Amino acid sequence: MTSLLLSPLDARHRALDARMAPFGGWEMPIQYASVLEEHRACRERAVVFDVSHLGTVECRGTGAFDALQWALTNDLHRIEPGKAQYTHLLDAGDASVVDDIIVWWVEPERFFVMPNASNTSHVFDALGEADARADGEMQWQDITRGRVVLAVQGPEARALLNGVVPGAADVPRFAVAPVEWHGTGLVVAGTGYTGEDGVELHVDAPAAGELWDAIVAAGIQPAGLGARDTLRLEAGLPLHGHELGPGITPLQAALGWVVRWDKGEFRGRAPLEAERKRGVARLLRGLTTEGRQPPRAESRVQFEGVDVGEVTSGNFSPTLGYGIALAFLRPDVDPGESVMVDVRGRLLPATVVKPPFLRRR
Amino acid sequence: MNIPDDLRYSAEHEWVRADGANAVVGISDFAQDSLGDVVFVQLPDVGTMVEAGASCAEVESTKSVSDIYSPLTGRVVEVNHALDTTPELINQDPYGEGWIFKLELADPADVANLLDAAAYQAVIDA
Repeated sequence: MTSLLLSPLDARHRALDARMAPFGGWEMPIQYASVLEEHRACRERAVVFDVSHLGTVECRGTGAFDALQWALTNDLHRIEPGKAQYTHLLDAGDASVVDDIIVWWVEPERFFVMPNASNTSHVFDALGEADARADGEMQWQDITRGRVVLAVQGPEARALLNGVVPGAADVPRFAVAPVEWHGTGLVVAGTGYTGEDGVELHVDAPAAGELWDAIVAAGIQPAGLGARDTLRLEAGLPLHGHELGPGITPLQAALGWVVRWDKGEFRGRAPLEAERKRGVARLLRGLTTEGRQPPRAESRVQFEGVDVGEVTSGNFSPTLGYGIALAFLRPDVDPGESVMVDVRGRLLPATVVKPPFLRRR
Repeated sequence: MNIPDDLRYSAEHEWVRADGANAVVGISDFAQDSLGDVVFVQLPDVGTMVEAGASCAEVESTKSVSDIYSPLTGRVVEVNHALDTTPELINQDPYGEGWIFKLELADPADVANLLDAAAYQAVIDA
């Protein structure tokens, strides 16, 4: 068994009595006191997550733009330096989503490519392939272990953060900006994974503890990955390993907008184009239940007595007060239809909906 | 971890408050803390016969679903319907308002087979 990686903030999490758990090869805080309390704090006030388990691969050089443009499905021509973009890396053979990624375009020839915890090496390898195809030169480096990423999220996130890192609070949604803080250069992006307003801060590891302490002292409550999961589910956001992964294409995951067909060649284009022509065999939908009992991942879904798919993520929605889930269903099972979820042998009625469950406020 | 002396326990972290032929069942403070925020409880049906050691209810937290095993054999005579709308009672008051079901025992002498507080503490510490 390989040992788990620890965040540079590990001692701080333990000092706060966080419950730690393995996540994507890292040991990270799942909760400090209560998932429900941390979830509500994010919807009503502001919380801070240590998301250092996300990878950061820094790509630099004259060839970086072209290499990323070939490797990833979204179109960097649609943004500019100082902006962030959600995108996918596809498998060249079957167009599976190898990873879903946020790209921070930090400077004209400098990008932070941010994969999920356990996928960093896959992304790193694909960048090598991309570099070989692009004109110009690219240097790419996994800088994950030398930095911390903090996600400050919630309706009061910017107001509270303004007292700590003034420039950070002003970074607009999906913008990226360098911000000086106590002599340390931060990179701040208006991104997140909760369905709330907020920013994410990239800070070099040696300064991360002090930044964390200042954020927490400003009244921004630490929240763990448990709340992050219930928050992203309410917002209808996919989690790699559940809604994305081997065998799952962006079209099946109802994320066709991430694929820009007009941009030219990209990794996995041919198999994805073939799927687009023949139509998807399954489609990601939302499910809601009447009561508190949630459908859970891997439960089968029935429609008119026939098996039509499987739940990929499900939980109680703390904000809505009922069960919500994402599920891959036969594509003709439309929103509004009534289905049954086989929850450990009992049939739980549910309604098919189009995510998100909760609109961004 | 709170382990009241006047209750009996199972190694699966249920507690029992026995009174003659009747017994109230819930989950221990250790169990609720391990589960985290309870969001749903699948209660047994009143009138059901349950065997000691058999799964008869489920407690779901934001993290997981856990079976509740009946610590004793008997018939379910009452269930805590307050948990239908406020399952967090299990977190807030596991030995009181968070009780789950009541049994009419097949044999009240079975209670003696359960763990006392000291023995249950040893299970947790193991």
